[in-house]
Amino acid sequence: MPSIINATLTNGVAIQGDNSGALALQTNNGTTAVTIDTSQNVGIGETSPAGSAGYTQLVVRGSSGAELSLKGGTTQYGYVYVDNGGFRIINPQSGSASGTLQFSTSNTERMRITNDGLLQFNSGYGSVATAYGCRAWVNFNGTGTVAIRASGNVSSITDNGTGDYTVNFSTAMPDANYSSVASCSPSSGPVQRIVVMNFAAQSNTIVAPTTSACRFSTTGLAASADVEYVHFSAFR
Amino acid sequence: MNQRIIYPNDDGGVSIIIPTLEYLAEHTIEELAAKDVPAGKPYKIVDVADIPTDRTFRNAWEYKE
Repeated sequence: MPSIINATLTNGVAIQGDNSGALALQTNNGTTAVTIDTSQNVGIGETSPAGSAGYTQLVVRGSSGAELSLKGGTTQYGYVYVDNGGFRIINPQSGSASGTLQFSTSNTERMRITNDGLLQFNSGYGSVATAYGCRAWVNFNGTGTVAIRASGNVSSITDNGTGDYTVNFSTAMPDANYSSVASCSPSSGPVQRIVVMNFAAQSNTIVAPTTSACRFSTTGLAASADVEYVHFSAFR
Repeated sequence: MNQRIIYPNDDGGVSIIIPTLEYLAEHTIEELAAKDVPAGKPYKIVDVADIPTDRTFRNAWEYKE
C-alpha cells in the first residue's frame, strides 16, 4: 500500500504510512528526520525509537548531543540537554522568580533551586525553606593508632597531642563563620569526657576556626584525654 | 591509609596528620602534605607502623630531622 494523505472535515489531515505501518518525514532529499513507528514511538534523528513494553518513547538523537528547548514568548525559555558533559536541566533566566528551578508533586511545589543557587525544600519544615547542610563531618578513634572511621569533606585529622585535634577540610568553607559541633565518648565506663571547641590543649589557648580547619580538644575533669569515639561536624 | 605525615608543631611536640580515604581517593599523600602541613614547616611521610601506639607520653613525643 502506498502512503496516503487524507483530509476530512472532522479529523483534519491524516498521513498514513506504507505497509510497514511506520511513518517517516524526510528532509535533504531522503534523510529521515522524524520517525513514528507502529507503537506510536517518535524519533527525531532516531529511526528506531522503540520504547519499553507498555511505554511510549520520544527520542531526540544528535551526533554529539541532544537538546529539548522549551520557550514561552520571546523571554521565557529553558533547556534539557545531554552531551559528554552530562545530563543537564538549565534555566538560563536570572530573575528571582523566572530564574528558579522548581519541583512539584500533587500539584504542590516541594523543592526549589533559587536563581542565586540556594536549595530549598519542604521535608517536614512546613514550607519550602532553604536547607543548610552539613558541610564537613568526621568520626574517628582518638586512642592508640588514631584512625578515621568515616568522613565527608575532610582531607585529614591532625593529631597535635593528647586529646588535641585539628580537622582539615577538603573544600574550604566560604568563611570562618560556620557552626561547628563535636562530641566524644569513651568505649566503656562512666568516664566524663567533654569537647572544648576552638581550643589547643597543648598550648592552653583559644584557636579561632579558619575556612580550612577547626581545632578542638577532648578532655576529662583535669586534663586533655584521648577518647575512642570522636565526632565532628560543621554547618554553614 | 598506611601512611602518616609528621611535622614539628609550635608547642615543641610533633603533630601527626591522618589522611582520610576520601581525600586519598583523588589526591596523593604529597598533595595532602602541601595542603595540610602549616606553611614553612618541615615534614616527613612515614609508615603508620612507625607511629607508637602507646600514647601515655604523647605530649613528650618529638620530631627528629
